[in-house]
Amino acid sequence: MGRNRRKDGWLHRPDQTEPAVPALEDVHGETKLLQGLGLAAAAEATTLLLLVGVAVPLKHLGDWPAAVQVLGPIHGLAFVAYLWLVLQSLGAGLLSRGEAARLALSAFVPVAGYLAARSLGRRTAGQPSRRQWR
Amino acid sequence: MTVADAYPWLKAAHVACALLFASGIVAGGLLLAAGRAMADQGAPFATVLKRWDRVVTTPAMLGVWAFGIGLASAGGWLTSGWLQAKLVLVVLLSAIHGLQSGQIRRLAVGMDVKPLRAAALVVPSVIAIAVLAVIKP
Repeated sequence: MGRNRRKDGWLHRPDQTEPAVPALEDVHGETKLLQGLGLAAAAEATTLLLLVGVAVPLKHLGDWPAAVQVLGPIHGLAFVAYLWLVLQSLGAGLLSRGEAARLALSAFVPVAGYLAARSLGRRTAGQPSRRQWR
Repeated sequence: MTVADAYPWLKAAHVACALLFASGIVAGGLLLAAGRAMADQGAPFATVLKRWDRVVTTPAMLGVWAFGIGLASAGGWLTSGWLQAKLVLVVLLSAIHGLQSGQIRRLAVGMDVKPLRAAALVVPSVIAIAVLAVIKP
């Protein structure tokens, strides 16, 4: 019995008692999720700017396609990760459908990701954002 | 090691990740439905599911993407119709997993979750992906 408890400890952690009131953990989890989303928004915006502002001109004006070949997949992964986090926040009830749609659309517009990251940062810091997210 | 040497290993890693990812989504959907039915008692149950999702299912999804992109590049299939159709289905499964992952977090803190209608697409998508990957029509 004791052995089994140790074996599945990584999954269940039976030694830790479940909190009777999960409100604090809830707030912590929400903050972490939104902070991750803000970071992903900034990363996606940065890779998009580098791709559109540096790599694409280098390919077409400088005849140097290597930058697009490197930055393309990196931006693709950042884009997919960002959209996945938007959906996760939507599923967790942290965003409404409209907010999630706006955040997703911001991934297509250069610089808009930074605005989304700033707004999410304000929200996690407890400051009122210009746009009401909830 | 050349790309040709690495190809079977990439394929094995991709299939292993795909199996874990698909089983994680199917199990997640079932356990979320069970958690909803259990009402207030579902939170400890969802905590275990949340941990499983973080440790196994999400890394498996990342592996599916990384190894899949590597395989598609190595095989020169990026412009093939079957791969593009498969890609749409993988995006759909990843999106469903994202929503599921958020719902599991919500259930783990004792909040109620709505049924995810898109979860009905999981099994047909997995079957279609298997057909597209093996038959390559």
